Amino acid sequence: MAHDVVPWDSPEPLSGPLGVPLVDLLDRVLATGVVVSGDVVIAIADVPLVRLSLHALLSSVNERVPSPWSDGGPL
Amino acid sequence: MTQPSDSRVASSSANAAVTYVFAVCRSTRATSALDVTGVAGLPGGEAVRLLPSGLLTAVVQTVPAADFTDEVWQRRLSDREEIERYARAHHAVVSAVATHGPVVPLPLATLYHDDDRARSRLADEADRFHTALKRVAHHAEWGVKVYRPLAPEPGPAADAPPPEAAGGRAPGAGLAYLNRKRGAQARREKLREQALDVADSVDAELRGLAAASRRLRTHGAALSGDQRVHVLNATYLVADERAHEVGRLVAALGERTGAQIELSGPWVPYSFVGEV
Repeated sequence: MAHDVVPWDSPEPLSGPLGVPLVDLLDRVLATGVVVSGDVVIAIADVPLVRLSLHALLSSVNERVPSPWSDGGPL
Repeated sequence: MTQPSDSRVASSSANAAVTYVFAVCRSTRATSALDVTGVAGLPGGEAVRLLPSGLLTAVVQTVPAADFTDEVWQRRLSDREEIERYARAHHAVVSAVATHGPVVPLPLATLYHDDDRARSRLADEADRFHTALKRVAHHAEWGVKVYRPLAPEPGPAADAPPPEAAGGRAPGAGLAYLNRKRGAQARREKLREQALDVADSVDAELRGLAAASRRLRTHGAALSGDQRVHVLNATYLVADERAHEVGRLVAALGERTGAQIELSGPWVPYSFVGEV
């Protein structure tokens, strides 16, 4: 099924943005929700975005793109 | 069942199964009529099903324990395709349930040894779930990302200070170089400040519309594959009757500030159930 990538302009009743970018999804499914202690401890909090970012960097074949700000980020 | 959980954590054999919990909703008539059989769930798991427990119902799936150890997940977290499969599968289940009423999602990979453990642990937290369900009922989450377009790297002479420095004589090459460096630095600093001001004013306006708001971390270019500069990653809990105002406000803010603003939603309120 084809889904539009955000921004979409016909909000459906929470059927959810299935075509949303992965980063936006990870922002929500990893670090949020009601955290209850599970029986199996998986160390997820905060780590994956860093890891994914590292992974993306390592697997990138692009030339290094200069950072727009010398400190590497706006915040 | 009366054993402490920790004694069993490491003992799962190759074909052992565990209970994965996606979300919790109220046990209403609509919930019990909910048909989740058509939802795929996580790769390798059994059918997604409902696990009623008093006034709450959990949406669960039996999955192989071997796929859900910490080691497997550490690998999965650094594999973009793998994490995407699991994140989207999780999200699809949560979203399907949310079409039938308020739902409180759990974070990816919340697992219990079996249904009884899940039921009893969720029952322990019943008050938090009810509070969260009340908070998100008739609300949706809307994500707003603000970008500043990447400023073109100035050419060697662009915006350089006038060459006639002291006494109209052209400065030496070293001084000119320093001046260019300083100019570029000052420009970057100015752009940065402007972008943060825009982010703050967009956030302030949207907060006026929202029942609650959160700022998430901004995304680096490496992660999103996007060279634009991300200056605001915020998310808002908005009452359903005001949902139509969000798009209009975002469009107006985009025009007023000149920034690129992306709206996403409606989301199940993932970001607004945790702090209860």
